[in-house]
Amino acid sequence: MYRAQPGLYDEMVDAEGAVRPHWRALLDRFDALGPEALNNRFEAADRHLKESGVSFRVYSDADATERPWPLSHMPLLISAEDWKHIKSGVLQRVELIEALLADVYGPQQFIKDGLLPASAIAGSPEFLRPMVGVPPVGGRYLAFYAIDLGRSPSGDWWVIRDRAQGPSGAGYAQENRNAMSRALSDVYRGFNVERLGSFFEAYRGWMSSFRTGDDAGTCLLTPGRLNETFFEHAFLARHLGFRLVEGQDLTVRNQQVFLRTIAGLRRIGALWRRVDSDFCDPLELNQRSQLGVPGLVQAVRQGNVMVANALGSGLGEAFALMGFLPALAKKVMDQSLLLPNVATWWCGQETERRYVLDNLDRLVVAPAFVSRLPGILDHGPTVVAEMDPGARAALVEAIERRGVDFVGQEVVKLSTTPVWTKGTLEPRPFELRVFVAATADGWNVMPGGFGLIGDRIDARAVSMQQGARSCDVWVLSDSRVADPSHLAPAREVTIRRSTGALPSRAADNLFWLARYLERTEATLRIVRSMAALLVEERSDISALVDILFKWGASPQPYPTAGDAAAAQALFGTGPGAIPALIRAARNAAAAIRDRFPRDTLQALDDLNAFIVSTAQVQATTAYVLDKANTALRIIAAVAGFQNENMNRLSGWRFFQLGHRIERAINTCRTVRQFGGEASTPDTLDTLLEWCESQRTYRVRYLHGASRGPVLDLILIDESNPRSLAFSIADIVTHTLAMPRTPNEGDVSSATSMAQELLNEVRAFDVAKLGNEQLLACENGLMRLSNEISQLYFTVREPAPASVS
Amino acid sequence: MKYAVKQVTTYNYASAVPFAKHVLRLTPMGDAGQTVLANTITIDPAPRERQEDNDFFGNRVTHIAFESPHLTMTITCEAAIEKSEAVTDDLAATPTWTTVRDAVPLIADLSPRAPTHYIFASRFVPIDPTIRDYAGQSFTPDRSILEAGLDLAMRIKADFAYDPAATDVTTPTTEAFSLKRGVCQDFAHVMIAGLRGLGLPAAYVSGYLRTEPPPGKPRLAGADATHAWVSLWCGEAIGWRGLDPTNGITAGGDHLTLAFGRDYADVSPVDGVIVADGGHTLSVAVDVVPEGETLPEEPPRLS
Repeated sequence: MYRAQPGLYDEMVDAEGAVRPHWRALLDRFDALGPEALNNRFEAADRHLKESGVSFRVYSDADATERPWPLSHMPLLISAEDWKHIKSGVLQRVELIEALLADVYGPQQFIKDGLLPASAIAGSPEFLRPMVGVPPVGGRYLAFYAIDLGRSPSGDWWVIRDRAQGPSGAGYAQENRNAMSRALSDVYRGFNVERLGSFFEAYRGWMSSFRTGDDAGTCLLTPGRLNETFFEHAFLARHLGFRLVEGQDLTVRNQQVFLRTIAGLRRIGALWRRVDSDFCDPLELNQRSQLGVPGLVQAVRQGNVMVANALGSGLGEAFALMGFLPALAKKVMDQSLLLPNVATWWCGQETERRYVLDNLDRLVVAPAFVSRLPGILDHGPTVVAEMDPGARAALVEAIERRGVDFVGQEVVKLSTTPVWTKGTLEPRPFELRVFVAATADGWNVMPGGFGLIGDRIDARAVSMQQGARSCDVWVLSDSRVADPSHLAPAREVTIRRSTGALPSRAADNLFWLARYLERTEATLRIVRSMAALLVEERSDISALVDILFKWGASPQPYPTAGDAAAAQALFGTGPGAIPALIRAARNAAAAIRDRFPRDTLQALDDLNAFIVSTAQVQATTAYVLDKANTALRIIAAVAGFQNENMNRLSGWRFFQLGHRIERAINTCRTVRQFGGEASTPDTLDTLLEWCESQRTYRVRYLHGASRGPVLDLILIDESNPRSLAFSIADIVTHTLAMPRTPNEGDVSSATSMAQELLNEVRAFDVAKLGNEQLLACENGLMRLSNEISQLYFTVREPAPASVS
Repeated sequence: MKYAVKQVTTYNYASAVPFAKHVLRLTPMGDAGQTVLANTITIDPAPRERQEDNDFFGNRVTHIAFESPHLTMTITCEAAIEKSEAVTDDLAATPTWTTVRDAVPLIADLSPRAPTHYIFASRFVPIDPTIRDYAGQSFTPDRSILEAGLDLAMRIKADFAYDPAATDVTTPTTEAFSLKRGVCQDFAHVMIAGLRGLGLPAAYVSGYLRTEPPPGKPRLAGADATHAWVSLWCGEAIGWRGLDPTNGITAGGDHLTLAFGRDYADVSPVDGVIVADGGHTLSVAVDVVPEGETLPEEPPRLS
């Protein structure tokens, strides 16, 4: 039986246990479906999230691996009445924080008038002095802001904290909605739930208004794929049509910001940052930052780029300020706060410090400006009553000496909302993050939000990093919610074709992803050939064992036993073994997940999971053969997805270039190993099989494998898609289609090099062909790969270093 | 007294640097008792971009960028500075340190020299209980602030060994404190950390100190070092006063101010981001010559 916790407000039932009216319909629907059908629906939602690759990263994990997204399957329902109040409160608050930032970085009148103590500003590491007196492009400091709300036992909503830096969660909220609306489509459609789409569309419009004529588009600046919410950055970039960039993708020249692309530098007009302000420019802000863009502050100062939120906006998050907001709202807007703060006392003031010290055991003490104070508040906000005596005494002493560094806060009791656990509903505490974004004519509140549900019933502050779950938030409307397709009539939608220049780093990663995939396939084919020979108990496997050793896939050369070498190549730890190659491919893919067919990423994950789950270094030959065959089928699926689903733009061409260069190199190597002067009919058979060309050969030639015809088929025959000449001809085609930088001639150096290689291969005389010719071709291909890097992947330059 | 100052900073790179951006804080500031009569900065090779502005703290900043490969960068700064006689305070007559401490949070001012900027942790200066307790020994109850401050500077001079090999520009202040060794930068950071730990406003000053040649010996070119010391806010009436923990003295007429900030990060003479394959070596030569004397090599070219 579901019951509210004593002394806490519950969202679904009142203190007497009666279901609140706005939940009634949902519970009736769930009852009608029954537990089994419901479980199936919830599993479908989880599957959707998994297949969409929704993930986050937990820093405390030893390997900081990505975690699948934990979704609580019960939506949080917000009544129309509650929402009206929340919405007004959020709109009021964003205006207030905006006014605060504009004053502090501008005239500082609030300080002179005594509304804000100077120390409550100066103590914040987010008060960025280089930004004082720099008006924000677009006239506003905040473009995307959020607050975390909790509901007190009395039923009132309270602001727990402000998120002014670069709030996360809006993208996850959209993904939660996607999962829930699909899994519960009939239930969802039966409700008047406010849709999220127009919120993002309006924000996109605002950000796009800062673009200049021919710029590279609005960019989303991410710290990179190791960031805890990188998935969301990639998701939002794709959802909004922004470019996902890292600091090294951008450069500042003549105080303007440019994107490095394969066609040279392209101007940037607007930047949505998910990098904390202080890390945005190593030249004028935190010199240790590797995430920023040197010179960005100068570009901002000159008004040449719109940065959202403005550098230094994180100041608005300081707990120290909270206690002053009620008075500020009175002064600035002549209003009371519609959503009150958690009561907060900043200890930089004598009276407040006294109050906090006198009432310590009823309060939480938190750092006034930062997340943690080492040695005193190691874990951030702490309930004083739960501290051990030594730590408590140290805290009291620290507050007495330097009160400015601390705030006292009322202990927050969160309300509870139901979660579905093993077939029943149980109450859990939650926080609700509500988002507001700038639009051309004001602010727009996302009708919904990000629900964060704690694991333990006594949780006060919930964090995604501590094993919490998130939930979809359904804002219920009194009136019928328009179907989203009615929101944007077809005639108003501008047709957009994604073109624009490809960022160099994306091209680089696509190229290397293709190379690693192809190398994986080449290695798998060797493993499969070896296992096949061993199963048939044919004799000479020395050349196969040796090539696995040369490729770094197995640790020892012949006379290692073939089955050991094959198992090592498939499951071992060598730099050329399958697990390492898949890891490299996934790393490259993860860095560019915003411009990638989802199925490809999913297939790569499947491949990885398959290899990891079946790994047996002491495997039997039959086992290895079976696993190699399955792995090859998954690889074929990856290639298929790429071909079917990737737009034929330059990104696809770089993928093809990587694929073809790697295959051409591997073909040269394999032919040297199995088709050289010392080849035998057996090794030639292996070669044909490796090249998937056995059937063609049998059709053309009645006799068994003989060197001249085999080499002709594998090296020179351009009708064979696995031949060396075919690959190189393809490389020529792709390099010809690449954009030219202004100082290049009609034909790029890469095209000339590829064409020359093609001519050489076409002129091969298979009767006299020696290994040194193949080696020369192989080296030529590697030089070509370097040339492509030089031409297009300028970020492969050594990383910038600091000097001082 | 008028001084001619010349500082030559040279970077030698292991391989050609194709792209670089730098921020220079090498223009001496006009300050209490100090007037800059003339100043030039010459950069070789000539940078592609060059802009000048003032930073928050009032330091003159030169932004430069290079877009063509270079193996060395030489920055030559020359200035003529007039320095008035140092103010001699009656140390015992300055306010008690607790009066100053308690006054700071009440000051409704965020302008660059307002004391509130200088009581918090900054990039190089942590709020550290150990350093605070060390500093606290000088700050006995009811002691006047400048007397206690000078006492702390003298204790650092006595307790720490000057040892350029012990630390570099990136050494954390807590490490320099436990080593009890370092250079002027470390001593200034330790002293600032101690003062701020007690709630007192303390700033970092970079500049030059004229060193007297040994009697009978000529002045050596480049022997005068870049220097750093501490400025302590002593209440509204007195304002900021320099204290030099490297020498255990008040910073007087021989201390020429280059830049003022919360710690080294705010005043670092050359910051930069370069695209480079190898490392670099750095040399800095400084001459501070009172008017009337001449440099041994060549006279400063002043406009």
